[in-house]
Amino acid sequence: MSSDALRAQIFQRLHPHAYLDRFLAEGVRPDGRESCAWRDVFVNVGSISTADGSALVRMGKTIVVCGVKAEIAEPELDSPDLGFIVPNIDLPAMCSPKFKPGPPSEEAQVLSERLNDALVRSNILPLDTLCIASGRAAWCLYIDTTCLNYDGNAFDAALVAIMAALGNTTLPQATFDLDTSTTTCSRDVHVPLSLNKIRRVVGLSFGCVGGSTPTLLADPTSFEEPLLTSTVSIVVDVEGGVVSVERGTMGENDGGQGETSASQDTGSLGECILMAKERAVVLHKLFE
Amino acid sequence: MAQNPFDRRRINGPEESFLPVFEPGQERPTTWNARCGRQSTDIRQIFLQPGLISQANGSAYIETEKTKLACAVYGPRQSKSTTYSEKGKLNIEVKFAPFSCTRRRYPLHDAEDRSLAVAIHQSIASSVRLELFPKSTIDVFITIIENDGIEGCVASGAIAASTALADAGIEMFGLVTSCSAAVRGDDIRLDPTEEETNTSDGVVVVACMPALSSITNVWQSGRITAEVTLRCMEMCQDRCIDIHSVIAHSLSSMNKAP
Repeated sequence: MSSDALRAQIFQRLHPHAYLDRFLAEGVRPDGRESCAWRDVFVNVGSISTADGSALVRMGKTIVVCGVKAEIAEPELDSPDLGFIVPNIDLPAMCSPKFKPGPPSEEAQVLSERLNDALVRSNILPLDTLCIASGRAAWCLYIDTTCLNYDGNAFDAALVAIMAALGNTTLPQATFDLDTSTTTCSRDVHVPLSLNKIRRVVGLSFGCVGGSTPTLLADPTSFEEPLLTSTVSIVVDVEGGVVSVERGTMGENDGGQGETSASQDTGSLGECILMAKERAVVLHKLFE
Repeated sequence: MAQNPFDRRRINGPEESFLPVFEPGQERPTTWNARCGRQSTDIRQIFLQPGLISQANGSAYIETEKTKLACAVYGPRQSKSTTYSEKGKLNIEVKFAPFSCTRRRYPLHDAEDRSLAVAIHQSIASSVRLELFPKSTIDVFITIIENDGIEGCVASGAIAASTALADAGIEMFGLVTSCSAAVRGDDIRLDPTEEETNTSDGVVVVACMPALSSITNVWQSGRITAEVTLRCMEMCQDRCIDIHSVIAHSLSSMNKAP
């Protein structure tokens, strides 16, 4: 490594804020993107034979894998016609030095909850389509996502992976025998999930940095994430409808840097929503 | 299979759920069938890519048909324990993705990942020059994305770990390669699939450093005679030499690329 590159690397480690600031002052980000440019997304579906549906998504250097496993369970008493979806994301110690081995970190728990929210609110998979026999048997889809390389914005990547994996999932044809009260599945006939395709959603995340040049960054990387003063996550469906908007203030909130005035805030939020809708069109094309 | 219902850190499903039961009749035969397209001494094609995980100091992704796993090396970094140690610590953790097996793997449900970690640790520990890293830990994390037989996972895990260590620039005596064999009667098959190991009499996994022609780990289970075991070991060692060139090639081609 040349000494200049090493010096830049040391500068980046010691003064991440100043490092990012100097890039933004020039109108670029450390990875060469413009402030509102997104990283390329690649989707590969169905590569895991042990899962009923799977997808691998690369978003820049972030890599996530989602696998769907279907099992059969008895429906809850108060909702005899509904199946289950159980989405969880794992951020293992392998994917970044930030994470420790052991039970799910706070970040992973929050992420799982947000993904669950997006899935439930979008109603992409109506739970009554998972019913096999009312009150007796229903499918339970375990939607597990694992991050292989964490380079920021796992939410967007995971949501793309989940949507692609669901689109790839097939369930064996199941019949419930009342006499023996058992469910038998066909070996040959597999049917795809009855997805509510127009309700398919993608997530689009932004971050704001303060400093000398306050900038809105689309699709933040793992280097940028800890430096953000606030984040905005928008979930958009196929028709461009906004399903949810989340805005969080985070990071070092020293002396009002993160707090923006209300009018400024709504202004940038509107800007975010416009950009999100524009980008959502591109992401939704990935599923076709 | 019941999941711990009190795990509030995950999104929990119903208390009980079961694997689908299929109609009887058209089951796939689980016998020691002739291999299609592969001689008994052939191993599955290896796809090995170092440096996939940019956040790690070193990493490798390996795929041999249906066995897929990723490995990342972090370190050498400061040991967490306060006691002084002259030698570095090699810490290996293996994790199955929940969707990696035919049966869903509930998190923290069994100890299979730990026994795998021990086997891989055995395979590579003697190759790493731990005496150069006092007070430090080298963390090797392995995630199994798709599992086609535990023996294959141990072998590929050791290969990936050794490649990732090399990618991280950690000093070693030599690259470790590993190969497995399944035995049924007099028939020996290298690099067996899960179906083959399930129908075999026994399996042998050998890890070695071909550059130093020394063996680092042998794991034999099942009912095999000593002569057959030795023959398996020889056959595995031959294949390990081929695998060694695969690793060397993947490492050098990565360094050539800008």
